[in-house]
Amino acid sequence: MFATQIHGDNGKMKEYHYTGPVEHKFSPYSFNGGTVLAVAGEDFAIVASDTRLSEGYSIHSRDSPKCYKLTDTTVIGCSGFHGDCLTLTKIIDARLKMYKHSNNKNMTSGAIAAMLSTILYGRRFFPYYVYNIIGGLDEEGRGAVYSFDPVGSYQRDTYKAGGSASAMLQPLLDNQIGFKNMEGVQQLPLTQEKAVQLVKDVFISAAERDVYTGDALRICLITKEGIKEETVPLRKD
Amino acid sequence: MRWRICFDVNGSGQFFRHSVSKMALANVLQSESVDFSNYGRQRHGFARGLYEAELGLESVGVDNLSFAVRTACSDGDGPERKIEFLHGTTTLAFKFQHGVIVAVDSRATAGSYIASQTVKKVIEINPYLLGTMAGGAADCSFWERLLARQCRVYELRNKERISVAAASKLLANMVYQYKGMGLSMGTMVCGWDKTGPGLYYVDSEGNRVCGDLFAVGSGSMYAYGVVDSGLKQQSLTVEEACELGRRAIYQATYRDAYSGGQVNLYHVHSDGWTRVSQSDVLMLHQQYQAEKA
Amino acid sequence: MATLSVCQPPFGGFSFEYCKRNAVLAAEVAKVGCSIPAARKTGTTICGVVFKDGIVLGADTRATEGMIVADKNCSKIHYISPNIYCCGAGTAADTEMTTQIISSNLELHSLSTGRLPLVATANRMLKQMLFRYQGHIGAALVLGGVDCNGPHLYSIYPHGSTDKLPYVTMGSGSLAAMAVFEDRYEQDMEEEDAKRLVRDAIAAGIFNDLGSGSNIDLCVITKNKVDYLRPHDMANLKGIRTGNYKYKRGTTGVLLKTVTKLDLEVVEETVQTMDTS
Repeated sequence: MFATQIHGDNGKMKEYHYTGPVEHKFSPYSFNGGTVLAVAGEDFAIVASDTRLSEGYSIHSRDSPKCYKLTDTTVIGCSGFHGDCLTLTKIIDARLKMYKHSNNKNMTSGAIAAMLSTILYGRRFFPYYVYNIIGGLDEEGRGAVYSFDPVGSYQRDTYKAGGSASAMLQPLLDNQIGFKNMEGVQQLPLTQEKAVQLVKDVFISAAERDVYTGDALRICLITKEGIKEETVPLRKD
Repeated sequence: MRWRICFDVNGSGQFFRHSVSKMALANVLQSESVDFSNYGRQRHGFARGLYEAELGLESVGVDNLSFAVRTACSDGDGPERKIEFLHGTTTLAFKFQHGVIVAVDSRATAGSYIASQTVKKVIEINPYLLGTMAGGAADCSFWERLLARQCRVYELRNKERISVAAASKLLANMVYQYKGMGLSMGTMVCGWDKTGPGLYYVDSEGNRVCGDLFAVGSGSMYAYGVVDSGLKQQSLTVEEACELGRRAIYQATYRDAYSGGQVNLYHVHSDGWTRVSQSDVLMLHQQYQAEKA
Repeated sequence: MATLSVCQPPFGGFSFEYCKRNAVLAAEVAKVGCSIPAARKTGTTICGVVFKDGIVLGADTRATEGMIVADKNCSKIHYISPNIYCCGAGTAADTEMTTQIISSNLELHSLSTGRLPLVATANRMLKQMLFRYQGHIGAALVLGGVDCNGPHLYSIYPHGSTDKLPYVTMGSGSLAAMAVFEDRYEQDMEEEDAKRLVRDAIAAGIFNDLGSGSNIDLCVITKNKVDYLRPHDMANLKGIRTGNYKYKRGTTGVLLKTVTKLDLEVVEETVQTMDTS
């Protein structure tokens, strides 16, 4: 469309006549937007993501959650390039099955995190373009969140946002969960209800300002009873 | 082997793309977010055509632009370096009478975004060896973990602990194999062996230097300043040395925007390392301000 | 000196030296990993349609900076003259200033002629201005109005070309909006039908194009009446947050406290509420 061209070319007129050799490039990556968020509590963990899959200015899907269930106590949130997300989760699933068959037990979330780190680093020179956040319960049944960079650096956190609106969510979580930049407040431990409410509210706010975040919010609540899923509608524009 | 992936905005036919994606991709892949090559080659049909045809000045305008293109897309080591995730940091280690003091900050940045304030930049290789993290976080933690394995294998084979010199050389040799492929790592290997305290600086360029005092990262100059002025007296007690390391990192976080978070402090002595303290720089700031007043 | 004057183009008009300079600067800055501050662009859906006795113009209300929503309720239907309005897409500052300049020139024109300006006049002034700037003014416009010759609708591209059509769309959501027009446009529609059609076209842009969003503005221009409906419709409602994010007094740390007395006599006090939507 003409309007598209106008903007894409920075207001320069497209050259229609032959002006010499033109180099065409293939990009193995694209960015499909989306935000993921994980919060760890005393005996629970929450992994949440929006369900919009977009590229450039268009929406590919309004129902494509970015949380993937790995085990009964572990969920991973992946955002970035959807193709890499799919490949990565497929590889993790295969590795989990292999582990199950050879060890006759499920991997703990800490072990999955360590494994993911090496999987990611294995592609150090052609990285998976994925921002991963793992949420789950550790061996003692406490909530655990592990956040990753695309090449496998990881650490354990209590809350972490990743993806397109991460810079909008993280400061609010720092304030509300980490009690950062406040004086004389009671540092109450995070309850399940408060955590779910906070997750909903930060996504509602992010959908207002980030064009890649919207449509719906998928919340996975991980407790020792199992994984409960909930979907909340968000803005669709 | 050097790969390069250009992120073509002009040719994609899409509406222009998301800036964060470019940022993120640029961070990961280190390609320029906008490919300027079209500007040089495809001339702006109308206005330039007139000027140049009539004035015979083709070379002037075109050269100007193509020069810009060349520099923007040049394949120098500049772009390759940007892959790192943990760009800014301050890490410090120095030898003194009673061993080695290791002090680091805890901030991770991706561009101008603070990715984390709670990074553990001291990597505990084994109970008597420490490594520090500067450059790519994934590179440091991966290779130092591999180093830990190598050290353990060495122990089992030789029935004795590996020396700091040997451990640092193992690491240096491992990363040297990947030189020029975009690894980014600046680490200090600290420990205690038969010869006493050991301190080596190792980086992904292939350097391996033994020394008494190193600071690595964007805030290293500030840390050097503090430690150099504090190390003057001959014998420091352990407490004095710890305080010096803590102060040096604090001063670096005060002036360097890419450093911050907490100060993690380790002391390496004859029985291995001990974790001395972890202190928030805000608390340190208030404490030092109070002392000054 | 002599060589310098030779280098000058021997004719009048505009110099695009700065454009070349800016391209060089941008390349230099990109080398260091920064970027030159970008102008705010409105990834937009705007459209217009001719109906039985007038024009309906429509626009969404989202302005973006990169992929962040900068303004959730900006106005994209600009005033040109009492009988002509113009929707703008592209660089926000360019569309605003261009329409303002043309509006004031047309005002002078109609003062000297003593009648309402023609839409064709506005169109010609706009295209001549945009053509002179060779597309460096990033304004893509939909111009509509009713004059003594009836209703007219034009679309104007940043390079200065124009189309005169019964229904037009512009901006990043133009394809979505055009799809609705192609499906449901009819000649000589009733006003209500035309409004509904434009509303649906803009809504298609809002929902299917990430650059467009928030509300739907309409402007209905007929022979002696202009209906500027802002907002005409809220396409989707804001989510409701359930938490309480109010801070207790004293939560913010105080580093320093100085009190300076102001000896002023309060004559009048009014409170203005800020728009925080």
